Amino acid sequence: MAEFELDCLGEACPVPLMKTEKKLASLAAGDVLVVHIDHSCAMKNVPEWARKQGYNVEVEEVDDGEWDVIIEK
Amino acid sequence: MKQLWEKISKNRYYQMVFKNPFTYITGAVLLSIMQIALFAYSGNPWGVSGTFANWGAWLYQLFGGSVEKWFYFSSSGAQATLDAGILSHTGTMLNVGLIFGALLATLLASQFKFKKIKSLRQVVAAVLGGLLMGYGARLAGGCNIGALFSGVASLSLSGWVFAAFLLVGAFIGSKLLAKFFM
Repeated sequence: MAEFELDCLGEACPVPLMKTEKKLASLAAGDVLVVHIDHSCAMKNVPEWARKQGYNVEVEEVDDGEWDVIIEK
Repeated sequence: MKQLWEKISKNRYYQMVFKNPFTYITGAVLLSIMQIALFAYSGNPWGVSGTFANWGAWLYQLFGGSVEKWFYFSSSGAQATLDAGILSHTGTMLNVGLIFGALLATLLASQFKFKKIKSLRQVVAAVLGGLLMGYGARLAGGCNIGALFSGVASLSLSGWVFAAFLLVGAFIGSKLLAKFFM
């Protein structure tokens, strides 16, 4: 039940999604990944992909134009 | 003022229209309606990248250059557009509107942010990618707006051919992206 972070600030689509996919593959079930993003289309496609995989996803707006996507594997 | 803003930001309609991204269907319907309106008004379907070539020509003329002999601008139509000037150019208005519209949208959603540049690699990729896209769009006679969206909307086969090769390009592009940015 470890928590991991992934810094995708300043990265444009589709890099945040590709990095999230890669990182999540190395995590164990129950682990939590927090992805930091500031690209609004990643705020749509990262949660969309993760929900399709059946993970629990929450999106939090932490600042103007900045989000944390919290994914539980 | 702060209280008012907090009230607005919780308003259902504010969130629906300004804050949350539209669904793909909503976006597609809005784009189609505006494409029709633009075609009715200006007589031409929407295009974006052709305008950049005209901007380049006007900039070149500003420094005393002449593009009259260039093959790209050799048609009488292209010359007439250049002679009419930038202020009466519909494409220029559209592109400027696009930039300011995007700014307005991000401000209204309260999502404006200066993003930091992560690495030199990112800069090189952006500049190279931009140049390749611009050059490719001129060779193809349009970008994903002028050649694809407007092409398909005009019931032209060229739009579908463009789409097929766009997929090929996107596939190669993603492989390169995975190789250099992951």
